[in-house]
Amino acid sequence: MLTYNARIALKSMRRNPWMSTLIIGVIALGITISTSFIAIYHLLSRHPLPSKRDTLHYVRMDSWDPLHPYPGDKPTPPPQMTYQDVRRLMQSDIPVRQTVGYESRLYVYPDPKVSRPFRASTRMAMSDFFEIFEVPFQYGGPWGREADEKLEQVVVLDQATNDRLFGGRDSVGESIRIEDREFRVVGVMARWRPAPRVFDLTHDVFQPPENIFIPFNLLEAMEVFSQGNMDSWGTPSGDGYRAFLNGEAAWLQFWVELATPEKKQAYADYLHAYTLEQKKAGRFQRPIDNRLSTVSELSDEWGIVPPQARALAWISFLFLAVCSLNLMGLLLAKFLARASEVGVRRALGANRLAVFLQHIVECEVVGLAGGVVGLLLSVLVLALFSRAFPNLPAFKLDTTMVAASVVLSLIAGLIAGLYPAWRICRIPPAAHLKLQ
Amino acid sequence: MEFGPILRAMRRNKLRFGLIVAEVALTLAIVANCVNMIMTARTDLARPSGFEDDSLISVYVFPFEKEFQDGDYRLTQTREDLTALRALPGVASASNTRLRPWQGGGSSDTMRPLGSDKEPLRTQVYCADQDITKTLGISLIAGRGFDEQEVYGDPNRASVEVIVSKAYADLWYPEGDALGKSFGTEDAQSFRVVGIFDPFYNPYGWDIGNYATFFACPSGNYDNGIHFLVRTVPGQLATVYPTIEPRLLELHNGRNVQMTAIKDIKSENQMGQSVIVWSLNSIIALLLFVTAVGIVGLTSFTVTERTRQIGTRRALGASRNDILRYFLLENWVATTVGIVLGLAGAFGLNIVLVDAVSAQRLGLFVPLAGTVILWMTGLLAALGPAMRASRIAPAIATRNV
Repeated sequence: MLTYNARIALKSMRRNPWMSTLIIGVIALGITISTSFIAIYHLLSRHPLPSKRDTLHYVRMDSWDPLHPYPGDKPTPPPQMTYQDVRRLMQSDIPVRQTVGYESRLYVYPDPKVSRPFRASTRMAMSDFFEIFEVPFQYGGPWGREADEKLEQVVVLDQATNDRLFGGRDSVGESIRIEDREFRVVGVMARWRPAPRVFDLTHDVFQPPENIFIPFNLLEAMEVFSQGNMDSWGTPSGDGYRAFLNGEAAWLQFWVELATPEKKQAYADYLHAYTLEQKKAGRFQRPIDNRLSTVSELSDEWGIVPPQARALAWISFLFLAVCSLNLMGLLLAKFLARASEVGVRRALGANRLAVFLQHIVECEVVGLAGGVVGLLLSVLVLALFSRAFPNLPAFKLDTTMVAASVVLSLIAGLIAGLYPAWRICRIPPAAHLKLQ
Repeated sequence: MEFGPILRAMRRNKLRFGLIVAEVALTLAIVANCVNMIMTARTDLARPSGFEDDSLISVYVFPFEKEFQDGDYRLTQTREDLTALRALPGVASASNTRLRPWQGGGSSDTMRPLGSDKEPLRTQVYCADQDITKTLGISLIAGRGFDEQEVYGDPNRASVEVIVSKAYADLWYPEGDALGKSFGTEDAQSFRVVGIFDPFYNPYGWDIGNYATFFACPSGNYDNGIHFLVRTVPGQLATVYPTIEPRLLELHNGRNVQMTAIKDIKSENQMGQSVIVWSLNSIIALLLFVTAVGIVGLTSFTVTERTRQIGTRRALGASRNDILRYFLLENWVATTVGIVLGLAGAFGLNIVLVDAVSAQRLGLFVPLAGTVILWMTGLLAALGPAMRASRIAPAIATRNV
């Protein structure tokens, strides 16, 4: 019956190609626009680390100036942490994994035959970083926790830097000079382009990750300054790197993985106790404001997803609604134009249900055809967008979006077709026969 | 007028007219909010920096030879670089500063007049030399620029010369008497205003795009590199650009040079906004097209259905114009009902958008403009089918089909 109805539908579409093109065009347009903008929003807003949705937390504490709150619309602690606080807090064994980090740029001195010295964007990180953020490796792997402790000079390279320095071969065990020290390559990352850069949401969140990663603990010995954002107040007591580290500059991103809600509570208590202890020592003179934010909470608070992307997704959905209304009008006109034909069918014994189904199937065939055309067009639109935003990860349709778009086109076809199909199946057969 | 028959006809064909009403209403609500968002984005896009963006090049120099770690060595080389840059053919001016216009950020600090107990106010802060205003292409509206002795003087001197943007000076001295006054930060040093410049706009994360303070000091260190801003003679950017790196490396090879044209930084900074404007424009155009198609379709359908009635009316003496007017009027009524609902919808949708995506509030102008546009769209869309209706021959009334 279904194939029979589908065959009738195709036949009916062929009979009035101009009308059919218009109908399919309208629904294709709706699907193109809505699929494209919903896909963009979907890609920008999906969770970068779904498996750590509930366990990974970003730590902030209000260590700011007693006299003025941290600038901003809402009362909030500074976006990053001070070195002295992180050093102390890292002694806790409540988190299963934890990492502190920041972005810098260090000079790499390759073999002069290979290339001139170049500045590589560098992330200072703990060994847990790679497991927390699920970094894929092409060769080797992360350094171990003992490397953090022993200040080992080890480095993880990204694919591009490995290509540049070693022609893309397995360079694990090779040595490279960074600033004035020799580092041993322990791992080469496979292509990794988290969007947003979940491990550092403080600025330019759609930039690619850094080129090289070295142990955070080397910062004191190498006196590595941050190239990322930094907020400070007060005057450091003294000059030099040591005084900077002991000062109130907030410049470090600190992440802890808390396996259960109980652990989270325990860690919040731990932070609270630490704050009280520091208050006694004269620091943390503002009201206590410790935050343990999940990635989603932080993204929402910091507006990581461009608000216009969400507005466009909504608007494009309403656009589809207008297309669907339009389709209803066109289908009504089309169906009622062949009322006499339906009269013949009814007179020959087809019941209302059969007529209704016949027309609903036709609507869905039209909806699907429009959906397929729309899908193809939205691939084009997304390609245009990817070209316009070279810094964003490529916009592609994933299986969820393809499925969503097919479902959308079926729903649009159904909503638009219900009334016209109902209307046509209620036509009394005699009325249209007697004039023939 | 045929309002009576029209309303009765509409009541009998609720769905058909309901569709037109709903389509027009939704379209108006969406179009008004899209236009509103476009206007917001446009004001951001149109905002000028006040600088000669098209002729500016940002030059960052990153040394790797260790002698650059010595401050005096670095400074001597920086001044040599500046002399060389200024002497390059096609270069109008060059300055040693970390300011990189349109980057979307920079450095900032809070200051207040010495002795004031008011809350300090935030300003962008950059070291700059004597050529900064000349290089940016902005003018000093009061006082003077730096002289070379000030720029390369003792960095720890008690009072450092600064020039401030008019917008920031006005924050503290609305009477316009900021010249000669001194500011303080939390450091011990004080900053004496020797000049005021205008205009200045460099977008920043916080709302301090118009507030800037330049300090008389050389800019750069071993870790973060040394920064220059170069302005070319108008139209010569492309010829000057490739000569900069070789010249600097010729002077000293122990470093790397990274250059960016400010117009590229600007277009990247504004790319998001311009793509949004482009998307919204396309959505508006397509939406009006779809709505027009819908009205054409529904009106044609009505005309076809009423062929016999039209014939009868014509046979009973109605002129072609009567028929034309009837259909245009009928359509106008439906469109207008849609517009009224759409106006409510536009403000309703705006409330949601203001709340969810911090859109701007909708004024009166945009919805009214949308109303006019939809009236025109409705009229033009109905015109074709209505003309067809007016050409129906009276004789058709006597036929059977």
